[in-house]
Amino acid sequence: MELLNYLLLGFSVALEPANLFYCFIGVVIGTLVGVLPGLGPVAAMSLLLPATFHTTPVASIIMLSGIYYGAMYGGSTTSILVNIPGEAASVMTCIDGYQMARNGRAGPALGISAFGSFIAGSIGIIGLVLIAPPLVDFALKFGPPEYFSLMVLGLMILTFLTSASMVRALMMATFGLVAGTMGLDNISGLARFTFNIPELLDGVGLVPVVMGLFGISEVLLNIELKVKREVFTTKVKGLLPTLEDWGKSIWSILRGTILGFFLGILPGGGAVIASFVSYAIEKRVSKHPEEFGKGAIEGVAAPEAANNSAAQGAFIPLLTLGIPSNVVMAMLLGALIIHGVTPGPLLLAQHPELFWGVVASMYVGNALLLILNLPLIGMWVQLLKVPYSILFPIIILFCLLGSYSINNSTTDVVIMLVFGVIGYLMKKLSLEAAPMVLAFVLGPMMETALRQSLIKSKGSFSIFFTRPISATCLIIAIALMIMPLLPWFRRRPGVKLEHEDVT
Amino acid sequence: MKKTFLINDLVWIGFAAAVCYGGLKLGFGSFSQPHAGFMPFLSGLLLGLLALVDLISGLAKGWRDEKKDVEIWANINWGKLLLTLALLVIYTALFTTLGFVITTILLLFFFFRAMEPRPWWVVAVSSVTCTGLFYLAFKIGLESQLPRGILGF
Repeated sequence: MELLNYLLLGFSVALEPANLFYCFIGVVIGTLVGVLPGLGPVAAMSLLLPATFHTTPVASIIMLSGIYYGAMYGGSTTSILVNIPGEAASVMTCIDGYQMARNGRAGPALGISAFGSFIAGSIGIIGLVLIAPPLVDFALKFGPPEYFSLMVLGLMILTFLTSASMVRALMMATFGLVAGTMGLDNISGLARFTFNIPELLDGVGLVPVVMGLFGISEVLLNIELKVKREVFTTKVKGLLPTLEDWGKSIWSILRGTILGFFLGILPGGGAVIASFVSYAIEKRVSKHPEEFGKGAIEGVAAPEAANNSAAQGAFIPLLTLGIPSNVVMAMLLGALIIHGVTPGPLLLAQHPELFWGVVASMYVGNALLLILNLPLIGMWVQLLKVPYSILFPIIILFCLLGSYSINNSTTDVVIMLVFGVIGYLMKKLSLEAAPMVLAFVLGPMMETALRQSLIKSKGSFSIFFTRPISATCLIIAIALMIMPLLPWFRRRPGVKLEHEDVT
Repeated sequence: MKKTFLINDLVWIGFAAAVCYGGLKLGFGSFSQPHAGFMPFLSGLLLGLLALVDLISGLAKGWRDEKKDVEIWANINWGKLLLTLALLVIYTALFTTLGFVITTILLLFFFFRAMEPRPWWVVAVSSVTCTGLFYLAFKIGLESQLPRGILGF
């Protein structure tokens, strides 16, 4: 009953005209960045973060969340029609979605992708409502050692899953930790690595770093690519899937939803991993695996459902533990902190309107996306025709102005450009930015938790192994570190997560 | 020999050494009383060790699983890449002095013109229109404090 009251509170917040407007803006921008290759949800969120400074924390998070799951929806359009994933979580949709389009079935592919996403998003929200409150009670038992170990585990899972070379992924995570130490020391107040630049006393900002690594670097890479886009614009008809299509897809959607949701909760997991794993599972359980890769509708339904429910599940660690499980959540964490809200176990008690408002807005946002994606598909397709030579100066300008307007300082622009070049070189050398960004965000929290734990234990590291939750997290983290050394794991296929999600 | 990856690891090792040195200068403290340099030193140390492991493993295997140097660097359009970077640096340097409007029109003019041949008047109209839209979005809509520069607005 109490849960119902809270949900009603959530919907009353989400349906306030202002919040509804921000939700609409969020999902439209999300769909837009999902459709347009070259600007992922992380870059878009960092771009619009300064725009939310004037709004309430609830409106801000509603809009930024809308961008995230809107991009999940929008990404499928480019995958199906152009064979270019608008964002990383839609990579798997390309395989069968594009083949369906080539076979004249672009409409049903887009339709099942939108309906599957809606079903998954809706079930994901129910999961969020059911799991988050009990997890809050559990999270209240967390002290600094537990937080430290959980963050270590999150980073280990991310590095384990995201790269063919775990050593290099760990290098990037450590680089993120180093970058996170810049600025004033939280405990002693001493300036660290500021090079006498006053703007660096607050540390390097998340927005310039993310815009540089994901926005500018992507533009620099795309300048050298000559991508020939073949858009199946004339064949987009019959968006409603047939009964046969539904019969084939419904179980795939449900499997993808459940799998995606739990992979989303996992620290370091997320929408990209969820879509990869769900595709692999569908192929394995299918009675006709030979059809996969040739236009199987299950190959579109499952990953699309998985990436959307994962997007919902990823909110759980952020809202209950205050720990972002991926880069997108790290952006939301940054937004919450800027608005003076500390995410964690007390969020539910102290800001119920924010917690439940955001949860309810996701449902509203999912409904908006369904309305947006199906009838407006023609408009999104037109956007794909904009030449990159026009698009990229605009993306660059967004990045420049976005990073400048945070502190009205060109130092942030310089930082963004530096990280743009670093990001470009990292992509050239197959070094992934996602572990770096997550570690950069978690770094200051990890440092505080580590130092507090060591002060408490008088310098003994046993504190991390004598407390059950902490010990469990660390043992799993160590196991993940050792696994690649075992012979049957040596040649595991790496999952390239170039964009936001990693998520 | 894949020099790119060798140089990459050496750069990371050098960077890690600098971070460790910086951490020690800030003061490591002790495990029971960690100081400001504690985390930087440990992170730097870990980064250096990981880069060393990557280097040794790369040398042992000859980086056989990696792309060749030529694959990484051959297809780059150096002209466009360097031009883009140079324009961005110049834009940032002149942004506060000349102001948002002038620098942005110039930046977009160069980008639109340099990346693909188009008639100059199309480029000029596009640049001015785009700048106007950005001005409306950021200055009026989001109330950002964009620099006025010599034009005074």
